[in-house]
Amino acid sequence: MKKLAFVITTAPSSNLTATAINMITAALKNRIEVVGVFFYQSAVLNGCEHLAIPNDEYQTHKQWQQLHNDFNLPLHLCATAAEKHGLSDDINEQKITNINKAFTLSGLGELVELNVKADRLIQL
Amino acid sequence: MYSPVKSVAIMNSNAPLSKANAKDALDIALIFGSYEQSVSLYFQGDGVYQLIAHQQPEKVQQKDFLKTFAALAFYDIENIFICHDSLIQRGLADNFSIENVQVLNRNEYAISLHQHQTILRF
Repeated sequence: MKKLAFVITTAPSSNLTATAINMITAALKNRIEVVGVFFYQSAVLNGCEHLAIPNDEYQTHKQWQQLHNDFNLPLHLCATAAEKHGLSDDINEQKITNINKAFTLSGLGELVELNVKADRLIQL
Repeated sequence: MYSPVKSVAIMNSNAPLSKANAKDALDIALIFGSYEQSVSLYFQGDGVYQLIAHQQPEKVQQKDFLKTFAALAFYDIENIFICHDSLIQRGLADNFSIENVQVLNRNEYAISLHQHQTILRF
């Protein structure tokens, strides 16, 4: 069976992010292995713990958390991009974090690994 | 089983200073290079402005990441391609900030790009 990896570059408010979630859900439900999802550029905001998207809008960030819980899907936030967008797991001396626990902070090297592990890398 | 090295093309189609895309693409190129992956860079559309010499990013409150292009050779990234049609459309000469830039016509560019196993676009 072919393996997929995903690079997401769009913010939670982008329709492309919703499309990515649809693609990944379809793959996982059809037993296609997704080796991991790498969040780069504005996509790191998907991992923010304190997003409050209006109730009548698509709850992008909750969908990612659900995928992680249901399928044990690895969600990697690019550490440099996260920092640039104000996300941190070490905000002050109390070690306060604004990153959801479903996400892992990873270096760009993780993207290289995912690309090598997967038969196809899909960017949205 | 998988091969430890894959050919990766990084396609740039945005101007260098309007968004973070150019810097983000360059960061990815250097990381893939440092993991000894086979990396090629492609410049098309407004992306061709990224290779134009003598830019002053500090005038618009940006760090001069463009000088990092000169480091590509140290990461063994030697396949750098630019679309000739995009240069002509913008009235730009073949005067680049780095050496080894190969100018390809539209067909050559497309054929070369599609020979890669992975394409990332910025």
